[in-house]
Order: sequence, then structure tokens, then C-alpha cells
Amino acid sequence: MIDTAGTGLVGIVVLFALLLAGARIGTALGLVGLGGLVLILGPEAALIKGGVVVVDTLTRYELGTLPLFLFMAHIFFSVDASRDLFDAAAKLVGHRRGGLAYASIAGCGGFGAINGSSLATTATVGLVAYPEMKRRGYDDRLSTATIAAGGTLGQMIPPSGALIVFGIIAEQSIGRLFTAAIIPGITQALIYAVVVFVLVRLRPQLAPPGERAEWKDRWRALGRIWQIVALVLLVIGGIALGWFSPPEAAAIGASGALLIAALRRKLTRENLFNAFHETLRTTGLIYLIVIGALIFSAFVGVTGLAEAAGNLVEGMGTGTFVTLLLVALLLLILGTVLDGLALMLLMTPILLPIVEGTGMTAIWFGIFLVRAMEVGFLTPPLGINLYVMQGVTKDISISSIFRGVLPFLAGDFFHLVLIILFPAMVLWLPQMLGT
Amino acid sequence: MSRSLKAAIWLGGVALLAATAIDTLAVIGRHLGIPVTGSIELMQAAVLVSGALGLTIATIVQSHARVRLFVDRLSPAGQAIADKVSDTLSLIFFLALLIGSAWISIDLWDAHEKSEILGVPWRLLRLFANACLIVAAASLAVRIARKVQS
Repeated sequence: MIDTAGTGLVGIVVLFALLLAGARIGTALGLVGLGGLVLILGPEAALIKGGVVVVDTLTRYELGTLPLFLFMAHIFFSVDASRDLFDAAAKLVGHRRGGLAYASIAGCGGFGAINGSSLATTATVGLVAYPEMKRRGYDDRLSTATIAAGGTLGQMIPPSGALIVFGIIAEQSIGRLFTAAIIPGITQALIYAVVVFVLVRLRPQLAPPGERAEWKDRWRALGRIWQIVALVLLVIGGIALGWFSPPEAAAIGASGALLIAALRRKLTRENLFNAFHETLRTTGLIYLIVIGALIFSAFVGVTGLAEAAGNLVEGMGTGTFVTLLLVALLLLILGTVLDGLALMLLMTPILLPIVEGTGMTAIWFGIFLVRAMEVGFLTPPLGINLYVMQGVTKDISISSIFRGVLPFLAGDFFHLVLIILFPAMVLWLPQMLGT
Repeated sequence: MSRSLKAAIWLGGVALLAATAIDTLAVIGRHLGIPVTGSIELMQAAVLVSGALGLTIATIVQSHARVRLFVDRLSPAGQAIADKVSDTLSLIFFLALLIGSAWISIDLWDAHEKSEILGVPWRLLRLFANACLIVAAASLAVRIARKVQS
């Protein structure tokens, strides 16, 4: 018998080998999935499964959410939204000790709400915030680590690309996932702010206070972002309150972004072309991974690997908390060597049944998984946000950035434990709003 | 950037704008009590065009995600081999997807598949997706051939 959990396990080992050998993530997932299906079901069924997945993915209405949110984000790039968001936050709190660090976190949260990518948030806010923090005499480790950590908010605060992909793979409501991410996103930002607060209290020289901006300057800065904030609130609020579905919200967001860009006279032919190019390129990148993951998921399903893993964990009798802690540990370890999206797509079919076996829901697992992915973005040696930040600063060693991020990682682990201990952080809001 | 790539980007962009407009009008229409019938079907068609072009464009401009943790530590010659292997695996995968998708298209061609409300011709959209897969596979094949020659 070839359709056994052992075959699935061999598939995972081959997948790891291909990924580490530098195969494209979508290709590796898809080829292992197709290869496994060929062995189990035969070549005809495997090839037809591949063909069905391609067209199903390309025409999936819910997945249309992704390119439109990406389009909205790329239009906002052209109107310098990250600069405006950081500038407004800096005018409001920048005079306090550590104020620019708080402003960076707020800027990342705000920009995360319009783009949904950790890397893009880190890079764009970093380009704006880091030079200002350096000019004001902030410690390099504090400034780089704050922006790298804050950048991960892009992945959690809705609309989140990772949550859209999880929703498709795990067949969960994207609107419910977005609503569930609101409280974890806010608490994550608050925890980062607490980390900054403690650091600057213990070592005041890390972040000197600055001059207080006058209220007319503050109002001017707020005036530049009110349209963006209103659009983001409409998009997220509209989904949470059930006014429109996530794909519709993405279309409203993209329309609003086009309108704002036009009002600011930034909707040039060049900007529009760049937004099209970047949106299509990123869409293609994610679609290939989703197609590969869906085929891989079908293979894992046929082998019964997830069921066997679930039975194994159940047999261990470790209880909910320890099981979830072990799942978190596994994700964190794999997250140090695997790309976040690959980690999510590889582990969802295997871990979701185990997590559901502990009584947790798929929605909770989606948020938990994205949170664990974010930790991976900050964890040396792979921690991609750290390298992005080094690319932004150019003159700071990676080891220095590694050391700076440790307090934020401690905050991340604390937050993960909170999400395990208090699932209501994730589940309460969608239940209350009935999304 | 070649002319054909620019044309593909503009075409994909038009599909994105169409998807944006369709769902925005659907929301406005619904809240005004004037429902836009068949908006989901039109949106699906627009998303297929932009997604299929996105797959092709990402392949041509080589932006598909890879884990580079070990590859970046290899010698230049080792990296060149890893790149060739990666391209070859991608070519095999795209061809497998193309065979599966074309197989279904051929099987369903005479059935004149159409969407329920507006009668959007699915066979043409399948054809478009297959064409994009062919272009993506061809770009990989050309890249591999060039690397082998050099």
C-alpha cells in the first residue's frame, strides 16, 4: 500500500530537500504533490487534479481579494502614504522619550492596514522612519529593531495577504479571519510599545526626547492622512460589520486609493503602470504558491498523514496547552529555516486537524499561525525583516540588528502564550459581530 | 522591458481596473437597491485574466519566491547549478499544469461551458489560462537553453 502516512512523510522530506536546494516554493509544493498523486492515484488523475486546481484558483472569487488589496497598496505607495502616516504619528508623540519609536510602530500598523505584507511595511516605513530616528540621536539597535518588529504588523492587521491565503487553503471565511485578527493586531502593537517604554525607561540615552510640534503642524499632518485612515476604517469596518464581502471590500479599497491618488495628482501613467506591474508580479508569485499548496494538500489528504499525526498527538495525552505549545515550538523552529508562506502552506494540512483535535477552531489556528510566521520574520538567522532593515540602513551590522530585536522577540513569545491561554482574544470579536 | 511584457502588464492592469469597477459598482448598486446582476461572474473572468497574466509575468521577471538560505552560501558555480535545477523543476511543473488544464479544456470544448447568468464563455477563459501557461513554460525553456549554451 502506497497511500499511507509513511508516503506522506517521505513527501515532506523530499519537499524540504527541494526547498533548501533553492526550488521555487510553489514548484516544490506542487511537484511533490503531483509526484505523490501520480504514485497513489496514477498519472491521469494527478494531471487532471493539477489542471482543475489551476483554473479553480484563477477563477476563485474569494482569491480575487488578494490582487485588489495589493493594487490598493501599490497605489498608496505612489502617494507616499507611509511617509504621511509616520509623519502624523511623529508629530503627535515624537517629542516624548522614545516617541519616534512609538510613531514607527503606529506608522507600521497604519501602513500594514493598507498593504498586508510584513516586508513591504518594514521597507517602506524603514526608509522614512530610520533616517529621522538617526537624525534625532536614537540608538541604531533600538530604531532598526522597532521598525523590523513593527513591520510584522503588516501581516496581522487586516487586510492581510497571509490570512487571505490561509482562508483559501483551510476553506475558512476571510471576513471572519480579518475580524479575528483585529484584537491580536492591536495587542501586538501595544506589546511592542511596552517593550519600547521599558527599554527607554531603563536606558534613557537610547531615545532622547525631541521638540514638541505645534498644534497647527499636527493638524496639517493629520489632514494629510484623514482620507487614508477613513478608507482603511471603511474597508476593515465594512468587512467586520458585514456591509460587504472581503473581495468587495478590496474593490472599494482599490477604488478609494485610485480616487485619493487622483485628488493628490499622483495618478500618473507611470505610477499606474508601476502599480499594475507590482500588483501582477506579486499576484503571480502568490498564485503559484497557492496552486502548489493546494495540490500538495490534496496529496497529504490522500495519504492520511494528518490523521496519523493527529492520532499520535492524541495518544501522547499531553493536553491542550502543552500540545499547542509544542505546535508553536515546531512552527518557530521551522520558521527559522523556511519562508513564512511556505511554512503556512506546508504545515496547515498537517497541523490543522491536530489543533482542531484540541478543541481550537480553524480561525484561531489561522491567527496563531500567522503570529508564529511573524515571529519567524524576526528570528535570526533567517528573520527576513532583519535583512530588509539592514538593506534600508546599509551601515549597521546584521549582528547588531539581531541583538536589538531580542526584547521584541521576548514580547512576541509573551503574546503567543497569551493567544494560547486566552483564545477569546481571537474569537470574541467575530462572535460578537456575527461575521 | 520588452514591448510584449509591457502589453501584458497593461492588459493585466485593465483586468484589475475592471475587477475593481465591477465589485465597487456591485456594492454601490446593492446599497442603492439596484443590484448588478452577474457581477461575481464578471469578477471571476477579470480575476482569471489578471491572475493568469500575473503568473506569466512573475515567471518572466523571475520573481517567484525561493528559500535562499543555503543557495546564497554556495559558490557562483554552485548557485548557477541551483538556478538551472530550479528553472528545470519549474518548467516540469508548468508543463504538468498545462497538460492537465489543456486536457480538461479539450474534454469540455464541445460542451460550450458558459456561466449561468451572463453566459460568460468559460472555454475561452480556459484557453487564455492555457496560453499564459504556455508562455510561462516557454520563458523558462528559453532561460534554461541560454544557460546551457553559456
